[in-house]
Amino acid sequence: MENQNSIISTEDVKKIYKDNGVEVPAVRGISMTITPGEFTAVVGPSGSGKTTFLNIISGLDNPSGGKVLLKGKPLSEMKGKELSDFRRDHIGFIFQAYNLIPVLTVEENVEYIMLLQGIPKKERRLRVLEILRKVGLEEYIDRLPPKLSGGQQQRVAIARAMVSKPDLILADEPTANLDSKTGAELLDMMRELNRTTGMTFLFSTHDKMIMDRARRVITLQDGLVVKDEVKG
Amino acid sequence: MWFYMKLAWRNIFRNKRRTVIAGIAIGVGLAALLFTAALMEGMNINMIQSVTSSFLGEAEIHGKGFRETQEVEKTIANPDQLTTELSRDPVVEKFTPRTLSIGMITSPAEANAVVLVGVAPESEKYLSKIDESIAAGKFFEGTNPGDILIGSKLAELLEVAPGDRIVVTVTQANSGDLNQEMFRVSGIYRFGVPEMDSGMAFIRLQTAQKMLGIGNGIHQIAVKFNDIRIASQGNHPFWEKYSGANNEAVGWPILLPQMKTAVDMSWISILITAVILMGLVTFGIINTLFMSFYERMFEFSILGAIGTRPGGLRKLIIFEAAALGIIGIILGVLLGSIALLILNNTGLDYRGIEYAGATFKELIYPAVHIWHYIVFPIGVFVFTIVVGLYPAWVASRLRPADGLRRSL
Repeated sequence: MENQNSIISTEDVKKIYKDNGVEVPAVRGISMTITPGEFTAVVGPSGSGKTTFLNIISGLDNPSGGKVLLKGKPLSEMKGKELSDFRRDHIGFIFQAYNLIPVLTVEENVEYIMLLQGIPKKERRLRVLEILRKVGLEEYIDRLPPKLSGGQQQRVAIARAMVSKPDLILADEPTANLDSKTGAELLDMMRELNRTTGMTFLFSTHDKMIMDRARRVITLQDGLVVKDEVKG
Repeated sequence: MWFYMKLAWRNIFRNKRRTVIAGIAIGVGLAALLFTAALMEGMNINMIQSVTSSFLGEAEIHGKGFRETQEVEKTIANPDQLTTELSRDPVVEKFTPRTLSIGMITSPAEANAVVLVGVAPESEKYLSKIDESIAAGKFFEGTNPGDILIGSKLAELLEVAPGDRIVVTVTQANSGDLNQEMFRVSGIYRFGVPEMDSGMAFIRLQTAQKMLGIGNGIHQIAVKFNDIRIASQGNHPFWEKYSGANNEAVGWPILLPQMKTAVDMSWISILITAVILMGLVTFGIINTLFMSFYERMFEFSILGAIGTRPGGLRKLIIFEAAALGIIGIILGVLLGSIALLILNNTGLDYRGIEYAGATFKELIYPAVHIWHYIVFPIGVFVFTIVVGLYPAWVASRLRPADGLRRSL
């Protein structure tokens, strides 16, 4: 199953939650490979295990069984600081509710990860300006997130996720809080960024707009992959 | 580091009302501490001065063994040399020689035992407040060797007034013979201290020396320092310097051990007050930090998810606690200073109240030391950070996935 070129590959990944002593399986054995440059959607009804699966492959949650490999290296070998650094350096996150830090300006939000990486201020500034230009928010650099619209905030979140050039961007229902027009605009923007930068996007969604734009759609049901379709 | 400080500072102003309330809680605690310490210190100084300036002196020099036995034979060795040295000593402001003996005072109406003190009126004025406490008649005037000052309660008992004659009987040194002299009441004093108003009488030093048959001997030299704190410095060279040649020099802490205990106890009281106040403040800080943490659990999870190390989250919470501490300290110093300024203008009226063998005679004013404004705020700051360690530890143990799930 492991592909030499894969960014992330999973082998029979399982996740079982315990609820008052009762075992509830959320993911029941998923094996898949994500290769560089993919624009992939993981779809399925609520409770199908999409978010849990994304949490596991990003190192936010531990699997109850199976293996997750990042560029061939097992995530299970990482703990604490190492796992934080792994997420910082390899994964970009885009959340449903934008989740920017409200007391930091657009620039400070976007540069945060680079700051954690110890990138010098001058370079941070250049990269922030570059990514904000790409997402069309250059003029909002000094604004605080509460002063931006939902669509603008999500653009900042996309910029934050992309600025450190991670191997994989995970987007959990990124359009759920946006109107359809803004959502479509953002998706087109991400699609374009994927095309121009070669950055890999993996979505967890119910949104048909995302499914329509994704080049690969993986369908989950009851914690299992029931369909893995690559569009021509 | 700077980034977390900046973030922490901005974070605590996200809920201004809560920050202000927590800041006030810390501030009131600090203000109360500053106020209590300054008031206690003021009370101590007032109490010490009340006793030392009434009669005792800040230090006393005696012949060895006199304090324990009160035997009139035990006079100070080399008194002339001693007084010469004292008059040249830079730490000594004033001093006065005295004799002390037990005597019997008899009037036509009554007789009573007293401590008969022989004093040098000119120098005595600077060491005691007998001259300021005269309620009737006059302090020693002229050179009449037959003048005597008695307390108001003793005067009532003896049924005498200024100008009346009384007889004083003492036992002479060495021979043990009784010696009687007639005196004229030149003044009646009222100290407000029952023991002094009913059990002491003052005559001129030369008269007392003659009555006791001790030549030019003296039993006590009362000393006032340039700085009252010298009296409580047990290792000051003064004590050794004047304790040779069969004499002993002791400060008020040894002369009045009960007052020394009371002063020491006051610091224990401040410590207990500090512990109680800080205990209450602890709940305020922990509550604020935890409320803020649980409100922002999703945000903390996001920070963790995008790569903030657990140590980073810990730093953030500790800096938030520190920022809260700084606000509390600013408020506390302001509130405390205002309260102290008011008390400094009004004073606290405990006059007439007796405590640890001393009667407060003056209004009590706070005694503020610069170290109060250094040690207490630093203490509160360190304490706030220590209190912040627990929420910081909880935050650093948060698993991002759990936080994201719980917050949804």
